[in-house]
Amino acid sequence: MLSVTTTRRAKRGMVREWRLHALSVFSLAVAFVCLGAALLVVTNLSAAQDRWAHAGRASVYLKEGASQDDVDALRAALTRVPGVTGARYVSSGDARAEFGREFAGHDALAGLGADAFPASLELDVAPDMPDADLTDAVAKMKLLPAVDDVETYQSWTERLARLVRGGVAASALLAVVVLAAVLAVVGSTMRLVLQRRRMEVEVLKLVGATDAFVRKPFVVEGGVQGALGAVGAIALLAVLFLMVRGRLDSELAALVGVEPSFLPWQVACGMVVLGGVLGAAASLASLRRLVAV
Amino acid sequence: MPRSELAERFRPMLRGAGARFSREAAQRPILVFEDVYKSYEQGAPVLRGMTLVIERGEFVFVTGPSGSGKSTLLRLLYRAETVDDGRILFLGRDVARLRADAVPFLRRNLGIVFQDFKLVPSWTASENVAVALEVLGLPPRLIRARVGEALERVGLSGRGDALAAVLSGGEQQRVAVARAIVGEPALILADEPTGNLDPQLAIDVLGLFEEIHEGGTTVVFATHDRTLLEVRPRRVVVLDDGKAIDVPNGVASDEYDNRLPL
Repeated sequence: MLSVTTTRRAKRGMVREWRLHALSVFSLAVAFVCLGAALLVVTNLSAAQDRWAHAGRASVYLKEGASQDDVDALRAALTRVPGVTGARYVSSGDARAEFGREFAGHDALAGLGADAFPASLELDVAPDMPDADLTDAVAKMKLLPAVDDVETYQSWTERLARLVRGGVAASALLAVVVLAAVLAVVGSTMRLVLQRRRMEVEVLKLVGATDAFVRKPFVVEGGVQGALGAVGAIALLAVLFLMVRGRLDSELAALVGVEPSFLPWQVACGMVVLGGVLGAAASLASLRRLVAV
Repeated sequence: MPRSELAERFRPMLRGAGARFSREAAQRPILVFEDVYKSYEQGAPVLRGMTLVIERGEFVFVTGPSGSGKSTLLRLLYRAETVDDGRILFLGRDVARLRADAVPFLRRNLGIVFQDFKLVPSWTASENVAVALEVLGLPPRLIRARVGEALERVGLSGRGDALAAVLSGGEQQRVAVARAIVGEPALILADEPTGNLDPQLAIDVLGLFEEIHEGGTTVVFATHDRTLLEVRPRRVVVLDDGKAIDVPNGVASDEYDNRLPL
């Protein structure tokens, strides 16, 4: 529990050594930005993966020469497959028109050939349909004479999953780097602060302060440095995120299928708590050997 | 820190042979040095078998040439150093045998004043005095009141908000004295407190210590300034060749001139 005296001494120390503390907070913010950016990427990739893992749809692309009778028979057969809740025919022209609406104003459409938009049956798949059942059904569909290919977005989901795993690994690595940075920056700062406040420590010990009493404000200062570093990093990331989202929002949402989102509040709070705890621990570790009086 | 915890860590010995309170034990000398040895270099002891007894309420000058061990004697007492051999009994407890974590509680029973003042220059006079009470965990309101009283006693009322760095040497030493007395310790140790002051200020500061002593506090005043010893007849302890030579009636007495080569 922090006493009024400890809090006041910590505040007084931070105010009087504000330049040193500000430099330390800035250094920590840079380290936390790296970790926060990685977590931000992981958060959005994970959301995209979730979105595509439960896309609830599949596209059955039809061969160019498929007749209307073949299509009708196929649609009737597909709607009887357990897990398939609906089937909608999209002609080649409809597909081109839909693409044109989504990417209005882009010149790319004119350059695409007729085979770029094959006719398809768009299936609505129950979100709880097991992957094994869907894979089995797809294998059977591919054997049908009118079917050219089937897209279930599973490969896309798997690629995203690989990316998320890579992002998580990178975040873990960055967390270790941040840990080392916090220990080094806060440790060095507190040793420097201790050196500058050597007389204060000496006086405290001469009037009967215990080591814990002497250390407490320094530990609080280290914790505040770490927490402020994390807060600064989150604020910086938020500004960058808003700038990037303003430019890429619609294209990214259309491509990936999800709106880009910022770090969840739990992750942001976790970073601040992590910063505070690491800062306090680093400070405590660097002050083990106090001025001997 | 609550007083009860203080009592756990450094408790004056107030009991006799049994477990009950003993008036006789409570009236023992406040400070006893018994055959104390201390050396910083092998073969060159600063104190060699020094023995000294100081009663409660005494004002004692400790003097001797530079390097005679005046500061060492005080440093042993507030446990900045440890004895090589012998015992130092303060309030009946052997200071030399205290555990390291009990040392802060010993120091709360002492007021220490130094030649170089040992003030934090970026703190105000009040903050420098208050620190001695903050370590005790007293409430801020009580601290403010007692700090004000202490500054008034040393003639610095109204200077509490001034930074220590802007005070004159005499004022800084007064702040240091206020810090030493604010906790109402049993014993005040002054290690050359007038060493950095001009002669008139030195006598003023000595007067301050005498006022404190008149209130019943025991004062051990280390100095090599003979003029201070002559201001009033006080008990003088001369450190010579690592031993204490007691001159109970001060420098004006015949025994002082006969026995001491100062």
